[in-house]
Amino acid sequence: MSVSSLASFEYLEGLPGTTFRRLYLQPSTTLAIFRRMLPHLAKTFVMAMLYMTKPIPLTDLDLWVHPSSKRQPTEALSLLSRLHIVHITARTRDEPQVVSLTKAFGSSLRLALTGGGDHQSFGVPSNDSTTADVDLNFLDDYAQMQWEGILHFVVSSVGEGMRQNTQGPTPAVKQLLESGNLVTRARHSGGGITQAGFSFLLQEANAQVWTLLLLWIKNAKQMEMDSVDVLSFLFMLGSLELGRAYSTTTLTDSQKQMITYLVDFGLVYIPPSSKNQFFPTRLATTLTSDATALRSVAAGFDAAHTNAAAQKGFIIIETNYRLYAYTTSPLQIAVLSLFTKLTTRYPNMVSGRITRESIYRAISHGITSDQVISYLSTHAHPQLLKASAAHGGGPVLPPTVVDQIRLWQIENERMKATSGFLFKEFENQQEYDGCAKYADEVGVLVWKSDPKRMFFVSRVEQLKDYIKSRKMK
Amino acid sequence: MPAKRKASSNVRGSTKIGRDSAVSTPGPATPRSIGSSSDEYSDAEPSESEKENMKRNINSFSVENYKAKQRSHAVSGMDSASHHFGANDFSYLSLKPDHDNRPLWIDPHKGRIILESFSPLATHAQDFLTTIAEPLSRPIFLHEYALTPHSLYAAVSVGLDPKDIINVLDRLSKIPVPDNIRDFITSCTHSYGKVKLVLKDTKHYVESSDPEMLQRLLKDEVIGPLRVQGTEEITSASAPKMAGLVIPGTKNFAGVQQAQLEGAKPKEGENVQQEDIVATLNEDDDDDEDADAVHHFEIGDTAVETVQKRCLELGLPVLEEYDFRNDSHNANLDIDLKPSAQIRHYQEKSLSKMFGNGRAKSGIIVLPCGAGKTLVGITAACTVKKGVIILCTSSMSVIQWRQEFLKWSNINPSDIAIFTSDNKDKFARNTGIIVTSYSMVAQRGKRSYDSQKMMDFIQSREWGLMILDEVHVVPANMFRKVTSTIKTHSKLGLTATLLREDDKISDLNFLIGPKLYEANWMELAEQGHIARVQCAEVWCPMTTEFYSEYLRHSAKKKQLIWTMNPRKFQACQFLIDYHEKRGDKIIVFADNIYALKAYATKLNKAFIYGETGNAERMRILENFQHNDKINTLFLSKIGDTSLDLPEATCLIQISSHYGSRRQEAQRLGRILRAKRRNDEGFNAFFYSLVSKDTQEMYFSSKRQAFLVDQGYAFKVITHLQGIEDLPGLAFSTPSERRELLQNVLIANDADMDNDDKGDDMFHMMDGKSKAKAKKKANARRTAGALSELAGGQDMAYVEQNKSKNKELKRKKGEHNSFFKKLQRDQEKRRKALDED
Repeated sequence: MSVSSLASFEYLEGLPGTTFRRLYLQPSTTLAIFRRMLPHLAKTFVMAMLYMTKPIPLTDLDLWVHPSSKRQPTEALSLLSRLHIVHITARTRDEPQVVSLTKAFGSSLRLALTGGGDHQSFGVPSNDSTTADVDLNFLDDYAQMQWEGILHFVVSSVGEGMRQNTQGPTPAVKQLLESGNLVTRARHSGGGITQAGFSFLLQEANAQVWTLLLLWIKNAKQMEMDSVDVLSFLFMLGSLELGRAYSTTTLTDSQKQMITYLVDFGLVYIPPSSKNQFFPTRLATTLTSDATALRSVAAGFDAAHTNAAAQKGFIIIETNYRLYAYTTSPLQIAVLSLFTKLTTRYPNMVSGRITRESIYRAISHGITSDQVISYLSTHAHPQLLKASAAHGGGPVLPPTVVDQIRLWQIENERMKATSGFLFKEFENQQEYDGCAKYADEVGVLVWKSDPKRMFFVSRVEQLKDYIKSRKMK
Repeated sequence: MPAKRKASSNVRGSTKIGRDSAVSTPGPATPRSIGSSSDEYSDAEPSESEKENMKRNINSFSVENYKAKQRSHAVSGMDSASHHFGANDFSYLSLKPDHDNRPLWIDPHKGRIILESFSPLATHAQDFLTTIAEPLSRPIFLHEYALTPHSLYAAVSVGLDPKDIINVLDRLSKIPVPDNIRDFITSCTHSYGKVKLVLKDTKHYVESSDPEMLQRLLKDEVIGPLRVQGTEEITSASAPKMAGLVIPGTKNFAGVQQAQLEGAKPKEGENVQQEDIVATLNEDDDDDEDADAVHHFEIGDTAVETVQKRCLELGLPVLEEYDFRNDSHNANLDIDLKPSAQIRHYQEKSLSKMFGNGRAKSGIIVLPCGAGKTLVGITAACTVKKGVIILCTSSMSVIQWRQEFLKWSNINPSDIAIFTSDNKDKFARNTGIIVTSYSMVAQRGKRSYDSQKMMDFIQSREWGLMILDEVHVVPANMFRKVTSTIKTHSKLGLTATLLREDDKISDLNFLIGPKLYEANWMELAEQGHIARVQCAEVWCPMTTEFYSEYLRHSAKKKQLIWTMNPRKFQACQFLIDYHEKRGDKIIVFADNIYALKAYATKLNKAFIYGETGNAERMRILENFQHNDKINTLFLSKIGDTSLDLPEATCLIQISSHYGSRRQEAQRLGRILRAKRRNDEGFNAFFYSLVSKDTQEMYFSSKRQAFLVDQGYAFKVITHLQGIEDLPGLAFSTPSERRELLQNVLIANDADMDNDDKGDDMFHMMDGKSKAKAKKKANARRTAGALSELAGGQDMAYVEQNKSKNKELKRKKGEHNSFFKKLQRDQEKRRKALDED
């Protein structure tokens, strides 16, 4: 289970049952959910029940599982029922609990697996002469360009020096990012990237796509689109074949509307010459498959967004707070610039230093010191890893630097917030004195200012009664 | 620009300077700023305002030119990340295809070089770079260096050829050496060695094989008037053309050359251990001197520095070399290293830089404290084998130097003399070594008859070598006096920290010579030559009362308040307790005398500061070294330098001199020579106690900059585990803390005055500022109640702990044989009584 499916999970689980029923009308959706979102045991259960005509007793299911691992089947079942894939009868005294697949899911999945029907949920290949120059490489490049454009916007919305030489995302996407609180235009907090935005950057590419898509779905209602439509369309895209042209003529109107957005994201390519065709890119086709399938695109992103396992780390940080990053990618440099004072750029390396100011700046954008540290350590240069291994698996980053980054953050977190209630505008001194005194006696008084006739309390109930009783008198 | 060069020497010189400063002006983080000195000189020559303007024009012109060129390059490589770097985006430079195997990047703008220390070629590259560039930072993985004119002069003076420098750089670099760096290297080095400064018969001569060069110098409005008038030859020199120049025995000079070439051979053998890259470069580049004749003119003693500076401005750095092997004029000194004396590899390397081509060059060798600077000096003296004069910072180290000489070399004790206020010896034979202190030599005003005679003696002689110990501490004007009054053929400066907060370090380049070698601290620690140190910064929060007082008071009082912060006191107490239990010997440094006394008396520890008498000092130090009851010693800043305490293994710093990086490094140096450093897993400890949220935090981070760049890591400790449970923790109750605060607040200015007087050059200010300081101590006007004057308001109970110093004294008294005898007698008598 990768991060991405978790994000989409949470969203799906929150949907009402009717939505699921509608979603499961599309065989592609059921297949996608089955493939992508279910753990192994749940898959086994579904497969076992798929062609069963009668519900099976829950107790029978237990027999399939080793008694020592009771937890897994329970978890799997609860997940399945949350996703409205199975239906479990309520616990009654006379009948044992039985479990069965929901009708819609079962029939759609059977359709998806065996084929047939005219649901067209797996897309309709276009019969028009395919544009010759659209090959896999082209699609990958296109997807990467579009996606990097978005990431760039997220990163370099920081600061004033933004340049428009890379084409930024379309206004609609920008709006989406803003409404998702990944970037902010609010000047008071310095504008630009937010904490959510930085976590977004630290995610894997696939997870990022999902994050963005979910944002989009949540906003779908504002754009007068049906979220079920959107979801099922996405699941359809996930089941398409990379490098193949599909026809847009069979799409519904709302789907046609959607596809323009997906072009912005880089999930779909429509050749300008033939508007009736569309090509799903790798970003789209890997939506519902395992994250590993995305490597080739991710590789194009240079390490920034893939796991450290697949990509060599590139950052060296020294005990004198100097940072050297072996990178050429503008995107990575932009990410680094969020918390580093960059000084010099060489053809394959940039150098800079982490300063108190640069960390403050990052923190003012809501990026936490832990995020910075985890970014640095996941992308640590092999030399750092080697050195730490040589010292018996010590810390990868210089501990002094890590401590210092944390301390810099703590330095700004000295204020403690106490939630409570402020009392002011008392009618006369007497009333103020009485109330303040009472608040002090019951031990809720946090702060008071006699000249201003104000005081602040942490709890209000007793005081309320007291004031009431005063009024009564 | 070659055409311009010919057109006018001034123009040429100034364009070059312009570029120098552009290239070598370091960023704000640079600990040193050598090379930015050209501005200072122009300040010194206000009469040349017109030329100044011209200079500036040319400067701006050339910089502009350069930038334009750069921008046109950059446009092609511009992308969205470029704006983070401004002009420092060099991504347009092309990488060599096999760049992975090469360890260097070169910054075409500032002449910075970054070295991958994990590259297989790194050791070679490191040797090479320490020769041609200034090390800026040397932590674990990536090192930074800067090319400066001085470092390049040093490289050439060691015998590297500019062409070879560029070739090797190119070989090591991931990117082709940028054109302007090539230009910079050639322009800085091509003229090096054309002009020499020679000492003959105690007179200074500017010498060159090219008469036109000398003519040019004579026409220069700065150098021209400095030529010594009056001597017959020189009078004729005012006449045009070559007739004005003295031509000494040509044959003689040729002979010198011949002999020197031969002399260079065996020397080469000594350098075998030097890495091959340097070795291949180590060819003699004396081609320029092929000319048959040399010409020279005499300059006055006082003019030497000015001429040197001016020549550098003109792009003709003056070479100071001493061909001691062929100096028959001065008698040889019978001195050699004892066979038991072993020179470590880095000491040898530094010396090979000094004697690279068989002649002695003037320059500075930078080695960490405790890495054996003295032995380097002694070996240098043993190589030159001529009269040597050694200048130290205090009379204590004068004695130490002499002892070291006797320890490591076979010199006849009568050949090595001491010149201090107490001792005014001369050596017995016609040559020898004199050890003295800067203040003795530079002393102004009337001297005693003896010392005047001694000075005359020193000034009348020609010295082969002058060794300047702790060269960084001495004010420039004192140097000027020293170097102008004593005639030496070569000078060797020794220091651990070539740093001054006032950027006067660049002056040393003229007064002594370029930096010849700078050792890598971390490397030496790895190899066990100096102790490994764990550095920590302990953050001590201010108590509320102290902090509110801190906010109210003047800067001076603030310092006292943050030093006397009770939490800091507790931290200090805790650390002392902890380390004493571990068996460490601890030195506690406090700049502030009031704090020093307060801490030491409260904790009942021995302390030394400026006013501590010599005898008492020696007694305390001896006890610290040998008495296992005395494990902690409080020192004021007089202990910062040249106090040799190999027993100390832990160092705590409670107050310090603002943001002085040098002091921090020097203090660290006190524990680097720890005796136990080669024990398995041994670590020395360096704690810096800092009061949180005060200015001290800022100073502290500044102070650490140098050490951090050397690769030391300061761990921040926010809480000392178990400090609350320490029995007898001082100031643990609010009332005690209030009392302390009261005491601190009533401490008068005199107490607070942390200008420690002592036999110490380290913090000596120039005469001017000292006079100012004195003036300040006059009348003071304050507002307050009368009761305050009577002490009615600030009445405070003061706890008077007995000074540990006195205790030590008493103990000492007991050891006196007379008292011992007395005691024994008493004992006997008592016993006899008991028996009865």
